[in-house]
Amino acid sequence: MKGKYHIVVQNNRLRYEMDIRRNITIIRGDSATGKTKLIDLLEQAADLGEGSGVEVLCERPCRTLGGKDWNLVLPNIHQQILFLDEENKFVKSREFASAVKASDNYFVIVTREDLPNLPYSVEEIYGIHTSGKYHDLKRTYNELYHIYSGETFSGGVSPETVIVEDSNSGYEFFRAICSENGMDCLSAGGKFNLKITASGLGKEPAIVIADGAAIGPEMNELYQMMRHKPEVKCYLPESFEWLILKSGMIDGKLIQDILEHPEDFIESREYFSWERFFTALLAEHTRDSHLRYSKNQLNAAYLHEKIKQAILNAAEGVDWKKRMENRNHGGR
Amino acid sequence: MIRGNSSVLSDRMAGHAMRRYFKRNCLKKKIAQEDNAMLKIIFGEVENSVYHPPTYFDNQYEDEWITDPLTVAMIRDIDKSEVVGPRLIESPVLGPIPVKEISGGVKTLILMAFDQSGRIFNASACGDNCAKWIAEIGRQKNLTINLHHVMDFSTVSAFEAVMLNTGAMVHSYGEYLEAAIQIKER
Repeated sequence: MKGKYHIVVQNNRLRYEMDIRRNITIIRGDSATGKTKLIDLLEQAADLGEGSGVEVLCERPCRTLGGKDWNLVLPNIHQQILFLDEENKFVKSREFASAVKASDNYFVIVTREDLPNLPYSVEEIYGIHTSGKYHDLKRTYNELYHIYSGETFSGGVSPETVIVEDSNSGYEFFRAICSENGMDCLSAGGKFNLKITASGLGKEPAIVIADGAAIGPEMNELYQMMRHKPEVKCYLPESFEWLILKSGMIDGKLIQDILEHPEDFIESREYFSWERFFTALLAEHTRDSHLRYSKNQLNAAYLHEKIKQAILNAAEGVDWKKRMENRNHGGR
Repeated sequence: MIRGNSSVLSDRMAGHAMRRYFKRNCLKKKIAQEDNAMLKIIFGEVENSVYHPPTYFDNQYEDEWITDPLTVAMIRDIDKSEVVGPRLIESPVLGPIPVKEISGGVKTLILMAFDQSGRIFNASACGDNCAKWIAEIGRQKNLTINLHHVMDFSTVSAFEAVMLNTGAMVHSYGEYLEAAIQIKER
């Protein structure tokens, strides 16, 4: 499934409104915000239709998925938006992750668990908050908000240490930048080790750079780590490949169009998470050029001054210039 | 019955609801704290645990739990609702509702406080706005909770707990967080 879908769920007293644009969306947050009520309303609407008194407005059918027979039901559902409540323990199983990967549906999962088998985006982790009464003053209006606010992430940090998620091209790029500017660059050896690596640092300003498109399962703990150790920040672009594409160094109107609304181009059954799509897109558009991209090993052309600067400029929120100026003035 | 300790409460508890509850009940009654009161946390799958406490609550709760001052205070704080009677709650959003319509987080807190079955309840059914109540219940009785995520106890002052996966005792939120991220079980 592709695309962004606006959903309205309402009855006489409650109205929920949200946009869903990726295969996996997580809803969590404080108790008593109406998560279970949302699922209840959707279930009633799916079971009884208009006779339920619940109105569901969406281009795609919305329904709930749950219970012991979920794996028998799911293969028969296509191009729908499925909501799962937190009682469904199977959401953390590998079997469920495989089913999501093979599915052409979107999944909205209510859970506080991290679900490490599912590569969901930091951008698609929401809470529900009440934003007031609707027009008739009788109905309470609820909408989604991003749980992890951007200001805690990078906030113009000028790091002394950079922690990168893996040891592929992205790491090689940032290691080169760090080496030129007297910074330390560490590979966490996988996103699951980011928090432990960050936890072991001293008081120096540090930044964690990871693929935002799939960092969701780590966000609860990383976010708490950032608040507890304010000198640690995160920069979470969709992926390193997305950053290269955003830098403008790869020509093409199509690329800019895709970056503006990726959800209209990324088929969820083909790409489990968006960073895989951006990797494929970059590889395809550089295949026959001097910027030929390989995820496993960085093409040295990406370290040429002009290209390097364009990529760094695309990394909003990280103040690389300060470091470089310090270096040029002889400081560390 | 949850028991209160006046010397600990005034500086430890955040939130008007908790303060009101313990002022009205524990301080006046001067009920002693359980000797072995401690919050114990175990991450991951564990025997005898209830994964979805709200369902267990719906089928097992007792009327007298609902009108206990502790429950009244928790429902007021978390759900912003008032207990009218053992079978009726007044919600500002939904109007009069039955007990089964209170939030899953409060249902889990009530079980932690009153259930005598010896079961361990999954505190991942509770939002972070329940953390201060879990910590307080753990100060008053020997409470073991099960977690499948790292709950944020940063709003709890003087946080203490035993991490059963490692046996370590933690004396602050920072120590808890450092210990929790090293534990692989979820």
